Amino acid sequence: MSILIKLSTTLRDMVPGYDPETGLSVSLENGEESVTAGDLAARIGIPLEEIKIIMINSRQSELDSVVHDGDRVAYFPAVGGG
Amino acid sequence: MASLPDTQTLLKAIEPFLTRRADETDVSRAGIRLLSEKTGMTERAVMAELLSRDLWPERFSRCRGAFSAQSLSRLLSARILVAGCGGLGGHVAELLARMGAGNLVLCDPDRFEESNLNRQHFCTEKTLGRLKAEACREGLLELASYMNVEAHAVALDESNLPSLLRGVDAVMDCLDSVARKKMLEHEAEKAGVPCVQGSVARNEGLALFDSSFALPFSRVYPGEVSGNLEGTAMNTHVLTVAGTATLMVSLLMRWLCMNKNDGGKLFHLDLSIPELEPLSFSV
Repeated sequence: MSILIKLSTTLRDMVPGYDPETGLSVSLENGEESVTAGDLAARIGIPLEEIKIIMINSRQSELDSVVHDGDRVAYFPAVGGG
Repeated sequence: MASLPDTQTLLKAIEPFLTRRADETDVSRAGIRLLSEKTGMTERAVMAELLSRDLWPERFSRCRGAFSAQSLSRLLSARILVAGCGGLGGHVAELLARMGAGNLVLCDPDRFEESNLNRQHFCTEKTLGRLKAEACREGLLELASYMNVEAHAVALDESNLPSLLRGVDAVMDCLDSVARKKMLEHEAEKAGVPCVQGSVARNEGLALFDSSFALPFSRVYPGEVSGNLEGTAMNTHVLTVAGTATLMVSLLMRWLCMNKNDGGKLFHLDLSIPELEPLSFSV
């Protein structure tokens, strides 16, 4: 099992080789049962101040929301273009 | 107040302008114009009245099966403010006109420039340098001359929105920064006018409409998000804006014409995959 991370628009630039079709799979470290959405973002090199919307399993969440093995986490920056 | 005669008399008067198929009757533009001239009603009012009798203006006849005549009649009578006439706004305005919107208020202070040609509907080589709101108005009237379209070359703010929102049934938020979208949403909330929000960047678009909760867009972005992002952050292209504009107009029509509310849903369109994902935002 692992956590599936999906990145939106400019956040994709911050993870070299990121593929939007597959997303990014991250395994929890030994002994971990969960991690916060903020810690998870930091592990893959996304600055927390760049994240404006977090969706865990398609539901809006926050940086301190808990992510479990098997969850799908999507991070969005400010998307404000018209 | 002027009105159309009873249906039997009306059909007789415009017989040459009718197309009949089984139990369907369409009325051509010339027939609608004739009824408008005879009664003094606007062409919009004539079309709304015809639709209420299940007589379809020919221009909308291919919408049969997807929308009811009553739905289109509501759209014809509604007054909709389009905030921003660039990427999203130009496409939203064009889609609304083709779906049968009767009254639009267009607001944008900017002029078309060459870098807009990749995505903005009314930006052509001929309209470069022109005010977007005015060029958009002209384009819409070429498509649907019966429309009532106001063009305001203004940047929307707290001082002009109260008067611009008067009598408006819905706002299409096509502005280009999160901070300005929040400002618009607050002003629309004060005026009691619901907002359909859309935003785009690169291959992705977000759209939401929730008339059951206050300030839904501000719930999606609860923190401070200031200014426009620079560089390539907000770059995008016609596929993203056309797709997102379609979502926005669809959300509006579900509410306005079909009394459906897509509350709590944030639609995420990702054309790099492609996929459309309904997300749940906090309410």
